[in-house]
Amino acid sequence: MYGEKAYALVKECANHENSLPPYNASLVQEVSNEIRTLVEENQEDAQTSTEETSDSGSVVSTIRLRHAAVKRNLRCLMAYHYNRLRLLRKMRWEFGSILPADIKSNLSPAEIEWFAKYSRSLASYMRSVGDDGLNLAVDLKPPKSLYIEVKCTVDYGRYELNDGTVLLLKKDSRHYLPRSECEELVRQGVFEHIL
Amino acid sequence: MKVSTIWQRQLCYAGQLQQCGDEVEFLGEKQIITVVPTFNSPVLHLISGDVGPFRAGLPTNVPMWLAVQLKQRQQGKIQAPDWMDIDRLTEMKENEKQSQTFTKMPSDHYMVEAKILLDCASDDIPRADEIRTIIKDIWDIRMSKIRTSVNKLIKNADSYAGLDNLTVMEINSIRPILPHALDQIYRIKASKKLRVPSQNSTTFHTSSRPSTSFSS
Amino acid sequence: MDEAAIEELELSDAESFEEVQLTAAQVIEMMEEAWVNEKFAPEILPHKMEVVDCLLGQIAYMEENLQSLPSTDFKKSIHQLEVDRLRFLVSSYLRTRLEKIETYVTHILKQEQQRHESKEDLYLSKQELKFAKEIAEALKQNFDGLVSFYPGLPLEEWVSQPVQPNMHSFVFLKSKKDVNEVVIDDGSIATEGESDLVDFREGAQILIAYSSVAGLLKKGDVKLI
Repeated sequence: MYGEKAYALVKECANHENSLPPYNASLVQEVSNEIRTLVEENQEDAQTSTEETSDSGSVVSTIRLRHAAVKRNLRCLMAYHYNRLRLLRKMRWEFGSILPADIKSNLSPAEIEWFAKYSRSLASYMRSVGDDGLNLAVDLKPPKSLYIEVKCTVDYGRYELNDGTVLLLKKDSRHYLPRSECEELVRQGVFEHIL
Repeated sequence: MKVSTIWQRQLCYAGQLQQCGDEVEFLGEKQIITVVPTFNSPVLHLISGDVGPFRAGLPTNVPMWLAVQLKQRQQGKIQAPDWMDIDRLTEMKENEKQSQTFTKMPSDHYMVEAKILLDCASDDIPRADEIRTIIKDIWDIRMSKIRTSVNKLIKNADSYAGLDNLTVMEINSIRPILPHALDQIYRIKASKKLRVPSQNSTTFHTSSRPSTSFSS
Repeated sequence: MDEAAIEELELSDAESFEEVQLTAAQVIEMMEEAWVNEKFAPEILPHKMEVVDCLLGQIAYMEENLQSLPSTDFKKSIHQLEVDRLRFLVSSYLRTRLEKIETYVTHILKQEQQRHESKEDLYLSKQELKFAKEIAEALKQNFDGLVSFYPGLPLEEWVSQPVQPNMHSFVFLKSKKDVNEVVIDDGSIATEGESDLVDFREGAQILIAYSSVAGLLKKGDVKLI
């Protein structure tokens, strides 16, 4: 039936609300093909029906049905892609302008291009705020106190603080650090915030 | 499944439901609290205004976020706000029980203040545990009134409601569901193009309008 | 906060903003109000960049002063925490706006164009407008690429029916002054003169459809809570 593949595409989004599965190029291709076929069939019928003006009633309803299917397919196609861009946007805020390799490998070339553009626009917006720019990707939660206790989840190695102190971050080591200096590593999953 | 559901889901949650407890607390942390410092320091020129001078043993007023820092560093003791007192609270609880409507709370952020101060300074507040219980009781009484009110509001399919004396935290507790339910009612009304008589406005408090003030 | 000061400020443009003498505490309060309003209003509100810039200036000035203090200084840590709190406030406000701009980009740009044509003040700041145009373009390219396999496919639905904020969504508000005869939007199509009206007393808290109070909010007569 028309639209089934497109439905599957949308369903894929719904099943992965917070993660980005590999770009489903083959299904996108199939939906595109279905759209192309429908449009071509319609064009053919439209041509024939103008030639044989009698008994065009059934042709008209066929054309209408196909047209509705085209519209629905297009809508699904856009929903699928738009939804993925929204997720990608979220990741820009979480990971910064450089995506982890495992995520990047799930993207289509067009998505990679979009991400680079979005990233650039956002960075240039942030630079333009106030006199010296403002990094909006930090200070995500209201600050409670200056220092927080964190646990290191991996062997990270040496890490230099703003005041020049160098820490050795080993797996399972605990540190009491200025919140502003851990936020980035907490988000990357290097640190775990101990409450 | 409708394609539009995916779009809509994102939109609904994007803005409105996001103000979590953290942010309500953030606003409440500005409330002024009295501390008794254990150190001496001249006036501190904060952006939000001057605090201090700090003289060991002399009470002074500071924003709550600052009071919490001092307490955590053992540089001061916190004085419970006037209303954080068993007798006052017992009276408040009685009033809340008797009244059909919502009584006025001593602070618009009473729950935030209670939570933060009782968490970090229970040793500075006399009978902290009893205070915690009684504030919880008051909250529960008010929440049950809210539930009755919301129920009535939805049944009447009202177009607006008065919420006087509800505090920020209480409003936040109904935020995830009530506005959303009313949106749906609005849509139904809009699609029916029916006019609902104005007498049906509901209020959470005794209003000057002789309408279905259901709490009474 | 001084009511007169707010009013004067809202009537003025960015230039005369400098002339209005506001304390930093008043600026913070305005920022907080703008933040909460933006959080809960379904549509994007007129920007308050003069408040943002003013507060960022205060923050930068303070941070500069703090640099000379040793990091062990007790005063420094208090100042630092305050600075962090204020920076959170400003960042969260700007982030909320960016989220709306991205979600409703087509709709917002269309409205801004109309405002521009009728010589009204724009709701977006200059930087936000640039950002909005860039992401709209990137989105368009992405969508165009999608349908490039068959030239001439109808994308009009996306263009003519962009995602729009739900202007009738219900909001909680507090009235900053007495306001009489607010027309209640209840979804029904009322004939003229037949609309239900409600009066807000100063300080009253109300739950009502945003569309009924959008104008009052932009004028500063009410604030969202």
